Amino acid sequence: MNAAGRGLGGTSLLAWRNLSHDRARFVVTLVGVLFAVLLMGVELGLLLGFARTTSGMVDHTQADLWITPAGTTNVDIAGRLDERRRFEALAVPGVAAVDALMLQFAFWRKPDGGTESVSMIGYNLASGQGRPWNLVQGRVEDLQQDDAVIIDTLYAAKLGVAALGQTVEINNQRARVVGFTEGIRTFTQSPYVFTTHRNAQKFTFLRPDQTTYLLVRLVPGADVDTVRDALQARLGRVDVWRSADFARAAQRYWLVTTGAGSALLLAALLGLVVGIVIVGQTLYATTVDRLPEYATLRAMGAPNRYLYAVILKQAAISAVLGFAGGMLLVGLVVLGGEGSTVAVAMPAGLVGVLALLTLFMCMLGALISIRRITRIDPTSVFQ
Amino acid sequence: MSAVLSLREVGVTYGRGATAFQALHGISLDIEPGEMTLMLGPSGSGKTSLLQVMGCLLRASRGSVRLFGQDLHAGLTAEALAALRLQHIGFVFQHYNLFPTLKAWENVAVALDIKALPRAQQHAQALALLDRLGLADRAGHYPSELSGGQKQRVAIARAMAGAPRVLLADEPTAALDGKTGQGVAATLHELAHRDGVAVVVVSHDPRVEPFGDRVLHLEDGRLVDDRRPPRSSA
Ligand SMILES: Nc1ncnc2c1ncn2[C@@H]1O[C@H](COP(=O)(O)OP(=O)(O)OP(=O)(O)O)[C@@H](O)[C@H]1O
Ligand SMILES: [Mg+2]
Repeated sequence: MNAAGRGLGGTSLLAWRNLSHDRARFVVTLVGVLFAVLLMGVELGLLLGFARTTSGMVDHTQADLWITPAGTTNVDIAGRLDERRRFEALAVPGVAAVDALMLQFAFWRKPDGGTESVSMIGYNLASGQGRPWNLVQGRVEDLQQDDAVIIDTLYAAKLGVAALGQTVEINNQRARVVGFTEGIRTFTQSPYVFTTHRNAQKFTFLRPDQTTYLLVRLVPGADVDTVRDALQARLGRVDVWRSADFARAAQRYWLVTTGAGSALLLAALLGLVVGIVIVGQTLYATTVDRLPEYATLRAMGAPNRYLYAVILKQAAISAVLGFAGGMLLVGLVVLGGEGSTVAVAMPAGLVGVLALLTLFMCMLGALISIRRITRIDPTSVFQ
Repeated sequence: MSAVLSLREVGVTYGRGATAFQALHGISLDIEPGEMTLMLGPSGSGKTSLLQVMGCLLRASRGSVRLFGQDLHAGLTAEALAALRLQHIGFVFQHYNLFPTLKAWENVAVALDIKALPRAQQHAQALALLDRLGLADRAGHYPSELSGGQKQRVAIARAMAGAPRVLLADEPTAALDGKTGQGVAATLHELAHRDGVAVVVVSHDPRVEPFGDRVLHLEDGRLVDDRRPPRSSA
């Protein structure tokens, strides 16, 4: 291609020709980068997806502060609070509203028999704090009926439910599915079952004055930490969290205690290492093959950075092409995960991180080639 | 005429200690522009070593070397020597050393690129250089598609990129047959006479001899003869 070659600088031209001249090796390089990107992308995406799942309930309320039973570590497992403590909280300056939110495990008997464990979520219909999000069938107002519940389509099959209106038993009490959400996952594998606070108390045999959490909203302009400290002092044996802190605690709890976090990070790291090794290996082989040419460049008077540029551009070309292919596959995995209970999250930020990791990986792979070039002897061209 | 290269009492020793070997002894000579200097001598006499000293590729162990008045002292870094080569010197090798993945004109363009010629001008200048060496119709060919003589002329075009004032060639005709070798020698001679380049050619090819304006003889690392034959062809 004369026209294309005319526009390329010498280093880009040499880099591209060096790579494309040995197709088989170039393909190996690209496949290596591609799999590294796939591995890193899927593992980090899973990690982020799990993190989002574990804190989903917290992230989808509009509370500024959460009051939880003392010693609570995550949103899915908690003891009980006396609901009347609401009024103590309301008396603290800066507090605008306090809503009870219930979360308790319960047993779900499928229409055709068989039992599953579920997480009952009881929320205050009027305030909407803790209401199901992404509702795709039915209306939240239908929860006013005293046997009504809403579940997620992702777990409908697991819970033996095929359509709206089907009846099941929760803790041996009749319940009816009046709505479906889409994409509300649980990390505990006990699906969330949404209903009103009153219904949830009835299903889980809680006393009418008991709840799990109190969600606090502040008056505009109030200082979150000041109110938090005041609530803590006033209410005593409870924990008071900023919402973001509680979300992070839940993420840390599940990802650390289950080992899922380190397993995923380790796999991502493995992808990075495999990528560095493959790129380093193939790039080095190409460099060694072309040592006489690098010696010629050096004899001609090319500065070291000219030689480095050729190698770094080879690494960059491999990074860009391998990343494009890898992200295509990651995209397919993300699409595939959408209909499952395990989500691979891939926000733009993570795509950016993956791009940087890929570039880092390829540049590191180029390093041994650069070390070799540094020791090149230009007089070898005379032998 | 002021000397392009000035060597005084230059010695080169390879290795050190018991294995040290002195390849050049007390070489003093001036290389002038506008003429073709031939360097002759038996194998192992130090011709390539001397050429490398002249080309800023090898540091003299003793004595002084001046390139356009600049002292190539021992303190110069490898990067500084490379910069001097880039600015002043073109090399032609026995085995051409073309970049096999680049077309003829691209081989020349890379030399221009290292010299930081703007990208837009590289193509036209590379073609002009190839045209001068009678290779205009071969510009788009890869080295593997060229004959030995054509390859060596592409290499000369590459060495002349950026118009260096010194051209150093080590056995440029050794791999070429009679007529082709003669043609390459004539081309080098013409570069000295038409462009005023200081051309130094190492050779033991008798076909090259008639083109030498000046003939140096090396033996065992010593300069034993330095003359300008009257039959110098023009
Ligand atoms: N890098 C080196 N290390 C050690 N000894 C060397 C090295 N390069 C050359 N020599 C020695 O220095 C002497 C001169 O070598 P040089 O290559 O300069 O000779 P030459 O005249 O070019 O020979 P030829 O005609 O065979 O090319 C030889 O004895 C050679 O073995
Ligand atoms: Mg030699």
